[in-house]
Amino acid sequence: MGKVIVITSGKGGVGKTTSTANLGTALAMIERTVVIIDADVGLRNLDVVMGLESRVVYTSMDVIEKRCDLDKALVKDRRVEDLMLLAASQRNRKDDIKPEQMQEICEKLKQEYDFVLIDSPAGIEQGFHNAAAGADEAIIVTTPDVSAIRDADRIIGLLQHQGINSINLVLNRLSPTLVKNGNMMGKNEVLDILNIDLLGVVPEDTGVIASTNRGVPLVHSEGSPGAEAYMRIARRMTGQRIPIPEMQEENFFANLLNWFSRNK
Amino acid sequence: MENPIVKLRGYKDGLHLIINPKVSLNEVEAAIHELLDGMNQPLAGTSINIDMRPSPLSSEDLKNLETYLTENYDLVVSGVNVFDEKDESPILAAPATHSISQSLTNDNQPDFEQSQIVRQTIRSGQTTSCLSGSVVIYGDVNPGGEVVAAGDIIVLGALRGNAHAGVHGRLSSVIIAMELVPLQLQIGSYMNRPPVGQKPRGYPEIARVGAEDIIIVEEFIKF
Ligand SMILES: Nc1ncnc2c1ncn2[C@@H]1O[C@H](COP(=O)(O)OP(=O)(O)O)[C@@H](O)[C@H]1O
Ligand SMILES: [Mg+2]
Repeated sequence: MGKVIVITSGKGGVGKTTSTANLGTALAMIERTVVIIDADVGLRNLDVVMGLESRVVYTSMDVIEKRCDLDKALVKDRRVEDLMLLAASQRNRKDDIKPEQMQEICEKLKQEYDFVLIDSPAGIEQGFHNAAAGADEAIIVTTPDVSAIRDADRIIGLLQHQGINSINLVLNRLSPTLVKNGNMMGKNEVLDILNIDLLGVVPEDTGVIASTNRGVPLVHSEGSPGAEAYMRIARRMTGQRIPIPEMQEENFFANLLNWFSRNK
Repeated sequence: MENPIVKLRGYKDGLHLIINPKVSLNEVEAAIHELLDGMNQPLAGTSINIDMRPSPLSSEDLKNLETYLTENYDLVVSGVNVFDEKDESPILAAPATHSISQSLTNDNQPDFEQSQIVRQTIRSGQTTSCLSGSVVIYGDVNPGGEVVAAGDIIVLGALRGNAHAGVHGRLSSVIIAMELVPLQLQIGSYMNRPPVGQKPRGYPEIARVGAEDIIIVEEFIKF
């Protein structure tokens, strides 16, 4: 039996959809069977980021309202085997779905797939509750800024209240240079406040935007810092022990660039 | 850790510079230099009070001191308070153990201490309240989180959110935290809002109401 993991944050724009797309793809690349669910009803975009927009025929709303079977609503990824997308309805609103209905979908899917990842909408209202309703675990995505962390903290409290105790952190858009200059909170400062386990750190990577626009998740661009980070996180999700690199690794890169610019 | 000659305290009405009476102007200026230069946040533009007992500093000395603070640190001296021996300044007067031992031995409120232990971090949006006594938190209180107690509040972690001790008016209540960097502290009806962005000091601190009806924060040594 698989695991249902909600990917959530409280604040919008911190990288939930990016993380869902990349972790889903990465897990499928290391031979796990995966469904990613867009729970951002009304503002769906996981299909766009995955480059599957044109293939979406049915959505979770159609499943709930029994217009089609769950299996039939799943869209197969174009690039990797065993990766499916369940899209969100664009026409509906977040409170058109009830937590029990999401739960039912998740229950069914985890019988067949290793991982069910749910891309949660921002906020703490109905949409968030629906997204979290069927989850066994949670991944909190935050950027290293005070307001995102405050919202993440709020969400952690709500998840714990709901009985979800396995909550891990993905720290996104960390910029080693900014941290070094004291202009951005570092990993440890964030962990100090949120006090949950760190699943991984994804650096600020301009490749993310390009990949989002092309509809090809970044993990397909082997070697980019963001892709490497998501691959490591996916491996940790499968239970592999992979150390979280300290920032020197990235500093090394920055130093190298520095060296080049000094020797031009 | 504490500078023996001058202390800087944030009270309800702003910053206070508390001066040991038994020193000369030169020593005071040197001590101020050491204290303020060692701080991790600039105070420029802040207004400040000077608190002291009747002291050897002449009024000319005091003028010089004001000029020194203004010229070197851009501080605005908003008042000079001289406390005589009886009517003591809260900091100079009250021993750190004062209000706690009082509350522990105060048994004319028999079932007051129906206290509560909370074994988790209080996160943003969460409130813990103990309206029958004191509360001990085995964790942090994060920004946006709130703890309310009829008695004392003890945080065995970082207090970064809001704490309101003595909600029913017991002014001998105290707030103690391993790291005291709150957004707001309240004891009874008194409030204290530390400067924004204050860094943890690296030692536990205690907040309580001093003789001047203001919340005093200082290093917590022992009960
Ligand atoms: N690591 C990153 N580096 C650079 N840009 C990023 C990174 N992660 C996300 N972004 C960008 O931030 C924006 C918001 O990301 P998205 O995943 O849609 O957030 P959410 O789903 O939380 O609202 C997108 O434009 C995305 O390309
Ligand atoms: Mg999104």
